[in-house]
Amino acid sequence: MRKVIAILLLAVVGYYILGTLLNLPFGQKATGVGKYYLDSTIKETGTVNTVTSIVVSYRGFDTLGEVTVLFLAATGLGAILFDKKGKKRSLQNASLIVKTSSKMIYPLTVLLGAYVFVHGHLTPGGGFQGGAIIATGTLLMFMAYRSFETNHTALTIIESLAGLTFVSIGISGLIWGYSFLQNILPLGTPNELLSGGIIPLIYIAVGFKVGAELTTVLDTLLKTIKG
Amino acid sequence: MSPVHFIAIPLFAAFLIPLVGKVSKNLVKLIPGIVFLYLSYVAITLFPIGIHKPIVEIIAGFKAPFGISLYYGPLAAFLTTMITLIGFVIWLYSYKFIIREPIEKYYMLFMMLITGSTGIVLTGDVFNLFVFLEITAIAAYSLTAFLRDKDGAEAAFKYLLIGSFSSTFVLLAIVLLYANVHTLNMADIATKISSVPLTTRIFILILFLMGLGIESEMFPLNGWAPDAYSQAPSPVGAVFGGIVVKASIYALMRLIYLMFEFQSVMHFLVIMGVITMLIAEMSAMRQQQIKRMLAFSSIGQMGLVIIAFGVGTEPSVRAALFQMFNHALIKSLLFFAAGYLVFHSGSKKISALDGLGHDKPITSFFFAFGALAIIGLPPFSGFWSKLYVLLSVANSGLFAAVALILFSSVVEAIYYLRVVSRLYFNTEVATDVRRTPVSGLVAMGILTLVILFVGFYPNLVLHWMTPAANELLNKAAYIKAGLFH
Repeated sequence: MRKVIAILLLAVVGYYILGTLLNLPFGQKATGVGKYYLDSTIKETGTVNTVTSIVVSYRGFDTLGEVTVLFLAATGLGAILFDKKGKKRSLQNASLIVKTSSKMIYPLTVLLGAYVFVHGHLTPGGGFQGGAIIATGTLLMFMAYRSFETNHTALTIIESLAGLTFVSIGISGLIWGYSFLQNILPLGTPNELLSGGIIPLIYIAVGFKVGAELTTVLDTLLKTIKG
Repeated sequence: MSPVHFIAIPLFAAFLIPLVGKVSKNLVKLIPGIVFLYLSYVAITLFPIGIHKPIVEIIAGFKAPFGISLYYGPLAAFLTTMITLIGFVIWLYSYKFIIREPIEKYYMLFMMLITGSTGIVLTGDVFNLFVFLEITAIAAYSLTAFLRDKDGAEAAFKYLLIGSFSSTFVLLAIVLLYANVHTLNMADIATKISSVPLTTRIFILILFLMGLGIESEMFPLNGWAPDAYSQAPSPVGAVFGGIVVKASIYALMRLIYLMFEFQSVMHFLVIMGVITMLIAEMSAMRQQQIKRMLAFSSIGQMGLVIIAFGVGTEPSVRAALFQMFNHALIKSLLFFAAGYLVFHSGSKKISALDGLGHDKPITSFFFAFGALAIIGLPPFSGFWSKLYVLLSVANSGLFAAVALILFSSVVEAIYYLRVVSRLYFNTEVATDVRRTPVSGLVAMGILTLVILFVGFYPNLVLHWMTPAANELLNKAAYIKAGLFH
């Protein structure tokens, strides 16, 4: 009986959700804020990738918040799974094929990740994506080699410095007499690597930060055996 | 000096903490203190400016609605100052509190929990609000499980599940809002919301009520709160009850007053507030553990605040803000004292507190003081806010609500005095050689003095709350300041 009532209630709720979602004006020409972004990105931010300019410039404050969210998640995970004695990864070795090809793919993955975050203002992708690609590279190594270890101190330092860079770029906007996170560098010529003012700098910092953070998270999660 | 300092400085410090942690763990403990001390200075400098004329700070140089802006009006001035000062006191309390490794992570999460709440209060952008809600929530989940025991893990998992629902609802509501009005600035949304079809508007409102209701501990969405409050380390319990809930209620009320000002919503708030209050107070009565009791009492007090916001007149909103302020002070004090009472008695149970009043007179005194203040006895600040809430509710003719508030106050008095009487009038004397650290006592002492001071001069604080209440009620002024600064 209770299940029947629950299903009926869900059906009513679902009907209204569907009704609301069907009314959404999707696929139409952008209006409001969206139209403004499409029209003035290149002029105002010097960035050809509109998504990047919205993420890092117009709504850069949100991105700083999201970077913090990831940082908190990684820190929280480290705090909850903290073990003084330290833990080990699974002792099983991968096959020779996996090992050899991982060794070849790993540097290429890191290179691709770096390419993606360095070119965040020109091509699809950016700091988060590039960092995630780098972390998948290390994940491959973690799975292939049981002895592969990352340098935790170095990762922590990279993480901290990258975060500090992001906030410092923001604060320098204040120091220069503009607003927080405002661009203080020349915009350059659109479509060139050195363009977009502070956007590439922020994305490089984010790339390093996300790469280091996700690597730490994977390392923490994979170490399940008491050492 | 500008409102963005409230966010930028703690973030800088948070990213610095892992580096400092490599050098010295003791230095890490100091960082939140230094940050909150500096922010208190910022808060006190900005407060007189913001209370008269809202400061709208543009981020990244793009004017509203194209970029994100912070709205530091009277209400935000009042709440950020409260959060920052109480944050400092809670840091002082946790300075010598025994905290497990890894302490650098603890202090980082602790600082971000408070910063997230400040951000919720400051922001003028609805998606930015979501980001700060996430910061607060994720710090809260990890701090709930920080002690790494079974109960803590269970509480954190529960909180994580319910909290994820909350985030999803809020995000979906924001998506629907954006799809309909093509803007994220709250003032801009308020001007355009009337063009949205009514069913969509109600649906968005329900999503916000569900999402933010979870964080605001509204019935029946508050199942996570007692577990999280009691399993987290005591300073964190104080942050939950004193700061995080206040920020969530603010967010809910800001959105309702700005975008969904239907009369029926206000009635709904009053009804939900009454139910929340009654059920929480009755549950608090049955609790065997002191921190769970405090958690239920906290939910009950939030019910009272929701009632006062739901009445929606100027005196009632002011009373609601005053009640929030007092509750933040008093509940922090109670959590502080309860933290050390639990520590000394070695058990979370109320029955283990027998006779602790003789062995630990100062800590017990602080608890008894807080208990009397939160019940609303005359010389303390809690009396005034409860009185003003009652008066404003009565003035709106809601006498049933008045009767139920009085009834729940009696219930509240019974369960608090039961604990106090156990502390003092039970002969079986417990002894514990460990002392309560001085920093903890100083923190409790500061709160006690403030509670007493506000109790004697309530008008000094109320005076500042009138502009804050007006800001919430005067939608046109908010829109004007937010969009055409």
